[in-house]
Order: sequence, then structure tokens, then C-alpha cells
Amino acid sequence: MTPVTTTTTTTAAGPATGLAPAVRLDDVCKRYGDSHAVRDLSLDIAPGEFFSLLGPSGCGKTTSLRMIGGFTDPSDGAILLGGKDVTALPPNKRDVNTVFQSYALFDHLSVSDNVAFGLKRRGVDRAGIRERVAMMLERVQLTELADRKPTTLSGGQRQRVALARALVNRPQVLLLDEPLAALDLKLRRQMQVELKQIQREIGITFVFVTHDQDEALTMSDRMAVLNDGRMQQCGTPEDVYERPANSFVASFMGTSNMVPGTYRDGAVVMDEGPALPVGPRQGIAENSRVNLAIRPEKIWLSDLAPGMARVTGVVRETVYSGPTTTYLIELTPGVTVSVLEQNTDRSRMEDRWSGGEDVEVGWLPEHCLVLN
Amino acid sequence: MTTSSAAPRRTRRGTDRKPRFAIAVTAAFFALLYLPIGVVVLFSFNSQRSLTVFKDFSLRWYTAFFQDPVLLESLGMSLRVATVAMAGSLILGVTLALGLVRCRNRLGSLAGLVMLVPLVTPEIVTGVAAMLLFKGMQIPLSTGTVMLAEITFSISYVTVILRSRIAALNPEVEEAAMDLGATRWQSLRLVTLPALLPSILASAVLIFALVFDDFVLAYFTTGVDPQPLPVRIYSAIRFGVKPTINAVGTLMLVGSIALIALALFIPRLFGRRGGLDLLSGK
Repeated sequence: MTPVTTTTTTTAAGPATGLAPAVRLDDVCKRYGDSHAVRDLSLDIAPGEFFSLLGPSGCGKTTSLRMIGGFTDPSDGAILLGGKDVTALPPNKRDVNTVFQSYALFDHLSVSDNVAFGLKRRGVDRAGIRERVAMMLERVQLTELADRKPTTLSGGQRQRVALARALVNRPQVLLLDEPLAALDLKLRRQMQVELKQIQREIGITFVFVTHDQDEALTMSDRMAVLNDGRMQQCGTPEDVYERPANSFVASFMGTSNMVPGTYRDGAVVMDEGPALPVGPRQGIAENSRVNLAIRPEKIWLSDLAPGMARVTGVVRETVYSGPTTTYLIELTPGVTVSVLEQNTDRSRMEDRWSGGEDVEVGWLPEHCLVLN
Repeated sequence: MTTSSAAPRRTRRGTDRKPRFAIAVTAAFFALLYLPIGVVVLFSFNSQRSLTVFKDFSLRWYTAFFQDPVLLESLGMSLRVATVAMAGSLILGVTLALGLVRCRNRLGSLAGLVMLVPLVTPEIVTGVAAMLLFKGMQIPLSTGTVMLAEITFSISYVTVILRSRIAALNPEVEEAAMDLGATRWQSLRLVTLPALLPSILASAVLIFALVFDDFVLAYFTTGVDPQPLPVRIYSAIRFGVKPTINAVGTLMLVGSIALIALALFIPRLFGRRGGLDLLSGK
């Protein structure tokens, strides 16, 4: 057995372990009238995994999460938790808990009563409830606020209450529906780190819905990119970012430059420019129209190495943003690429490209993608 | 006017100057509204029988009221009717509101419209209709028929107040309760109803006050003995106005003010403002 290799595949299969997947979606569909919210979604999420469902709004990620939680019934297909078919079970009979986007706290109950709600429903004895609630509140640093009403708390604190209320039940799977969307940027970064820490500590499977690529990239073990109800790609953050399966994933995951051209003899020939070597590509027909996709940070502006694809362009815009500078470079009329440079030696950059000058750019052929 | 005073006048044209005209209109409005009530309150303390000349301060009409068995019996009946109507219309009204908000099909919206009809129907029509119904079914008019009529009449108020509150509830909260292991019924009882409690209590107060001093419906649906207090007062006035009526009126006024104060205070208990919004039906 070589379990390591499976973790880097781009299929929907989870890492190979002896255990049944924590969550399995088997050809799940959700139709509303004639429109599909989710089509033929099949996924395996391994126990202990931090798994993200990523996509633009309306892509079906929240619907998928709600079907796992039991709030929405699938039109077709089956949902399995820990190997058991739960498709027909209501939410209160599923061993999952949810952190809702709106937090959905019980405003008439104190923070500790909110956290104790699930344990009470499951008939845990009083001493057990008190102990587990106290431990959980301490874990999310809310001990001092235990007697406060949720309406008196800040957004970040409410978020923590929602998390504690779900986690205290020690579910098999925790579902998180854009839990950080309502927080400001700084707090969001902080909570991202904290969530990840908590997940590692307690080892519960997290299924995390987000529309924020950075969030998905930094937090996930694996992620699925959805668009228009269909899964576009499933894999590790590196798979998805470095080897996007199609042009949607390439452009949704961060910025991607698209250079149109014709594929011929292992190169993409630009319409009014040079041939850019890309090496042999499988599944691309000779003389077909293609897009060459290249990330801004993969393009070099200086010290070009031999074997690089090279093209000369004009610097049209220089955007300074602290640690990095983005250059917009027009290669041929109508074809502009953005190039991201680290500001390791800012003053030198400014001298060289103040705008309107010719510059030669290049990249390693293996860093670009050829998309139909 | 000298030219020197023109400049400061112009600066006073800003929005921060006192709206004298508006203040005058408001004062006149409150005077017209409360002067007659003030007269009733004043003469309830008159030592004389006169309704035009105030002599000395006295509580004799209050004493007279509390020694009048017929009036006390009517007061008791009105309190009972208001309590039963309040309880009955709350149970039915809250249930109806929950159903109407969650039933999102054509039948549901039709029911939502039909529910509003009692609010716009002239009360006298409702009263006559109720009386004819009871007569037709050969149900003798009594305290029970008043209660039935008042419950029917009050459901719409409860439903209108509660419906907007329920629609404003976050549906994820009930889902969260179910997610944490509650059944549908438990999530209604443990999460939804507590969230609605301020509105429920405020509409309870409103219904109690409305029913307690309701005259028209009570007049058409009550039996001969006992009669609800407003009906009794009306009958008494036909044989000449006694200052006892002023005392009864004042007591009812104090009671109503206490109820409204309660309705304003209840939402504060739950850390929320806007009890007045609930009473004005927003």
C-alpha cells in the first residue's frame, strides 16, 4: 500500500485510509423546479480532514452543506456519514453540527446556556454539562462572558459562541457555512489561524464553505471548487492552485493571465507575437485555438534563464502595494499580462520601470497551462 | 424693523429654530384629546352630585362604586371576558401566524388576506352577525357568547402583530436548534416561542385592554345578567348620569394606563426597545 500518492490526485477520492469516509456524497443532485443547484456531486471526505467547498455565490456550495446537515433534502443520490446512509434522517438525528453564517445564536439564552443546548437535548447529566461547557468556553476564551446574552457581544465573540455551541457536542463532522464572512479582515485572519488550530487539536472533520480563495488555500487539507452546481476540481490547495483543471478554476483561484494563441509543435503561437514554448501537452490538438494561462508571480522581469518562453512588451501601469508591485505589461495590442514582483529592492524597480518602456518578460514552460 | 435686525433673523432660518407652529398644533391636539377625560377624572372626586360645579375633594363616588353589587358584578364579568379572550386569541392567533408565515402557497396567502377582514369590518356588523349566528343556532346569549365573539374578533390583532415578528426571525435559528438535537416541537418551544415572547406579551396586553372596554360586540352578544361593564355603564347613563360613572371611568383609565406602561416595559425586560411599535401595529 502506498497511501501517500492518493493524497495528491485530482480526483474526488479522499486519502486512502482504512476507515470509512467521514462524509460521502454519492451522485447527489438538488433541483429546484427546472434549475439545478447541485448536479451529480460525488465526494469522499476523510476523517479528520479540513475540507473546503469553494466557489462563487450560487455555485451550490451552501446547498451541498445543507444537504449534509439535513436541512435540505437531495433530489437524487445518497449522503453517508461514517459509512451510514443518513439521506432520510432529519438534522437532529445526524451526528454533525453546524456553524451557521448568521451564527444563529439563541438570543434569549446566556452564552453558557447556548453552548449547553445540544448537551441538554442529548440528556447529558448536569455535572457533565457544566464541565464540558466550562472547558469549551475556556478553549474559545469566553469564560468571562459566560453569563452575558449574545446580543451584547461583538461579532468575533458571537462567532466563537457559535463555534463552541457546535463543537461541545463532539460531532463526527463540523459543518461551517462561511463562518468568517461577517468579520473584518484582521479578525478574519486571526480566526482562520484559530479555527485551524482547534481543528488540529480535536481532530474533528471540518467541512468549510467559503467563497474566499485565500481562505480555502490557507486552511484546507483538500478542497473542491464548484461552479454552477458542478464540481470543477477536487484536490489539495497546491493541486488546485498550481494545476487548475480548467480555465474556470485557473481564473477563480487568484489571478491568471490568459494569452490567446494557436497550439503548434509544442508551443503556443501568439496571433501577433512569437511562439511561446510550452512542451508537449496531452489532449490538445495541433493547430487548435488555446489560452496559455500563467500566474502573475511566475513571470520573470529580469535575469531571464535559458529555456524560458520570452516575449517583449510595454510597461503600461505600475501598481505599488507594499510588499509587492504589480506591473501591467502589454505584450501585443489587446493582450496584457500582470506581473507580480516582490519588493526586495524597491528603489531599483522604480528606476527601471516607471511605465511606457519596453521590457522582456519570460517564464518557465512548465509553469504555464494550456487550456482549450 | 431696522436693518440691523435683518441679519440675525436670516441666520435663525436654519433647522435648529423652534418649530412654534408645530408646537401650537400639538398642544391644541393634546388639549382637545385629553380635556374631556380630565373633566371626568376631576368630577369623579367631586363631593357634590353636580357635573358642572366642582365643590370639594371627596372619594364618595369611589365608595359608592365599590358598594354597588351590580357594577362590581359587571366589573368581574368584564375582567373574566378579557382574560379568557386574551388567552383564547393568543393561542389561536400565534398558531395562525406561525402557519401563515410558513405556508408559502396560494392558499396560504389567501388565508392571510381573509385573516385581515375582521380588522376592517365595522364592529357593529361583526356584532350583529355574531348575535344572529347565536340566535340562529339557538345558543342563549350569556357570558360564554361574549367570550366567543371577543376571541373571534381578537385573533386578527394577535396574528397581525405576531406575523411580522415571525417573518423577521432568522430561519437559521430554528435550524440551529434542530442541528443541536431538538425535534421540531422542541425547537418551537425552546427557541421560537421565547424569541416571540415580547411580542406575545405585548399583544396579550393589547387584547386585554381592547376586550375589557369593548362595547359594541359585548352589547350585541351579552345576556341580560350580568352585563359587561361598558354595557352596564351605557344602560346606567340612560337613566341619568351619576358621578359614580366618573369614578368607574377614572378607574378604567388608570387600569389602561397601567397596562400600556406594562406593554412598554415588557420589551425592555428582554433588552429590546420598541414596545410602542408593537402597540401601534408596526
